[in-house]
Amino acid sequence: MRHFALHIELALRNVFRNRRRSLYALATIAMGALGLFTFMGFNHGLMRQYRDNTIRARWGYGQLYVAGYRGKAHTRPWEMWVENPQDVMNTLRNLPGIVDLFPRLTVNAILTAGELSIAGQGEGIDGIAEARFFDQLNYIEGSDFKDRRDGIVLGQGLARGLGVHVGDEVVLVTQDSKMKTRSVKVAVTGVFHTGSQEFDSRAFRLPIKLAQSLLETDRVESIAVALSSDDGWPAFAAAAKKALPELEAIPFDELDRIYYRHAVDWLDAQFRFIRSVILLVVFLGIFNVISMTVMERTTEIGALRANGESRLAVFCGMELEAAALGLLGGLLGLLAGWALSTGPLSAGIPMPPAPGITRSFRIFIELGFADALEVLGLCGLTSVFGCILPVWRGARMPIAQALRHV
Amino acid sequence: MTPLYEIRSVSYRYKLDGQHIQALSGISLNVCQGEFLALAGPSGSGKTTLLNVLGLLDRPGEGAVLFEGENVSRLSERERTLLRRERIGFIFQNFNLIPTLTAHENVEYFLLKRKTGRIEARARVLRALEAVGIAAQANQWPNSMSGGQRQRVAIARALVRQPQVVLADEPTASLDQSTGLAVIELMKRLNREQGMTCIFSTHDPKVIAAADRVVHLTDGRVIE
Repeated sequence: MRHFALHIELALRNVFRNRRRSLYALATIAMGALGLFTFMGFNHGLMRQYRDNTIRARWGYGQLYVAGYRGKAHTRPWEMWVENPQDVMNTLRNLPGIVDLFPRLTVNAILTAGELSIAGQGEGIDGIAEARFFDQLNYIEGSDFKDRRDGIVLGQGLARGLGVHVGDEVVLVTQDSKMKTRSVKVAVTGVFHTGSQEFDSRAFRLPIKLAQSLLETDRVESIAVALSSDDGWPAFAAAAKKALPELEAIPFDELDRIYYRHAVDWLDAQFRFIRSVILLVVFLGIFNVISMTVMERTTEIGALRANGESRLAVFCGMELEAAALGLLGGLLGLLAGWALSTGPLSAGIPMPPAPGITRSFRIFIELGFADALEVLGLCGLTSVFGCILPVWRGARMPIAQALRHV
Repeated sequence: MTPLYEIRSVSYRYKLDGQHIQALSGISLNVCQGEFLALAGPSGSGKTTLLNVLGLLDRPGEGAVLFEGENVSRLSERERTLLRRERIGFIFQNFNLIPTLTAHENVEYFLLKRKTGRIEARARVLRALEAVGIAAQANQWPNSMSGGQRQRVAIARALVRQPQVVLADEPTASLDQSTGLAVIELMKRLNREQGMTCIFSTHDPKVIAAADRVVHLTDGRVIE
């Protein structure tokens, strides 16, 4: 133990006393750490934007359905909708983390405007409640219908197909649960798009009361959930299962597997690749700096070996120095990353609209403790691995040859 | 009495720019304990190569080197390292001090690596620095010292481990003549006081004159 402490002391002494050499190595490592740390923070910020956009555009943190309803075809689906939705929502409001609840009901209808008719799939929603939480739906024209009882918002493709704009009237024709045809005249208050052309060409939203009267039901198909914190879903889902076992709670990333989950997986794969490239650059930088260092120290290595230092001792001593440089450089990079994110980048990085989103937005660099530890560990490991070859070569060089080195 | 070194028909050949150079040709030589021996000869005569072979830095191509009766040419790398650590001290022409350590730390380094306690190491380092007359410069960096001072630190570094033999390759070559002679006088004094064998190479006649015995080398051969 005492011997190991001595090795560390000697390694640190070498790092701090050879300032020029250490400065090169530290600068290389710190730049790599800064790049990696900031990149990870950017990645988190971007993912949060995606997550927030997905949650606040359509799904909430998740939705509740009658168990066994979702993902299956039903001949009489209305029999599997949520009964007494108000009582259910009163029970749910007492569960941990609940901020708001949004009952929803799917309506299949023919939409007619003038001579044009298109089949569409709509969703009955509580306009006032949803306007409070779902502030990220991408409106390209108009806005929510809020408390307007005969309002409707249409997907971009559907509005185009019908040739309607905000203020125009559309007739909805549908069949209720008793196969009776019903129709109603509604006014367009907004046109949205989600990025999915297929979805936008048939989707519309209307007040839930109107949807219930069209389908002649007092049930709802699902209840979307707004929570007080991002990580509150598991606790809520467990509590909901206990309080209402006939319902199943499904998180937003499961509901939106196509857009969110796949986008996140795709971005993750991209980020992993870029992170590997950054690590490779850092590795090569360290390899270069350490190779130069070993070359400069060849006669020193020769003198050490001549005076009875074993190859292993020389190798371990220099590896310890590399590890110390890696950790110190990593720490400097982390500090620089923190300074950057709280200074010049504190207002976020302006980004153009992402695929499927109409608004431009800002990404904030989100630095986390776990990321800092990961970067520090990677810097230490990269430094240790980056210098294995040059140090081993130096330690194995014949002593007489090392002593002759100029 | 067994000689410290028995060198039996040692030859050494190396390759340089595609050509084989015969650095040593069938050298036989005995060195006794406590000798102050000079290896003399012009550049390229094989002095450094012979010192490298004696110091177990190189293995002879042919022949054998016996150290206290043991054939050290056949030892493993680990055994040779141990032998160097425990019984052989080196002094180099270019001093080869570690630039990031002070004079005191340079001398102390190998003691600490040999697991000598810090208090004992400190005392031995001070004694060694005093013996070479450089205790006042103990906390100076090698770069801020003169050549003579640096070579004294190198001598202290070699002596502090109390080796049986000190091998010095052109220890005065990087020094002016008076400093060089002072260094040789210092080595001779320490050889007498501490009884350690001292073998050094040189081509300076004034330094050669200080030796108890001189072995002349030319083209890798001994000409006594």
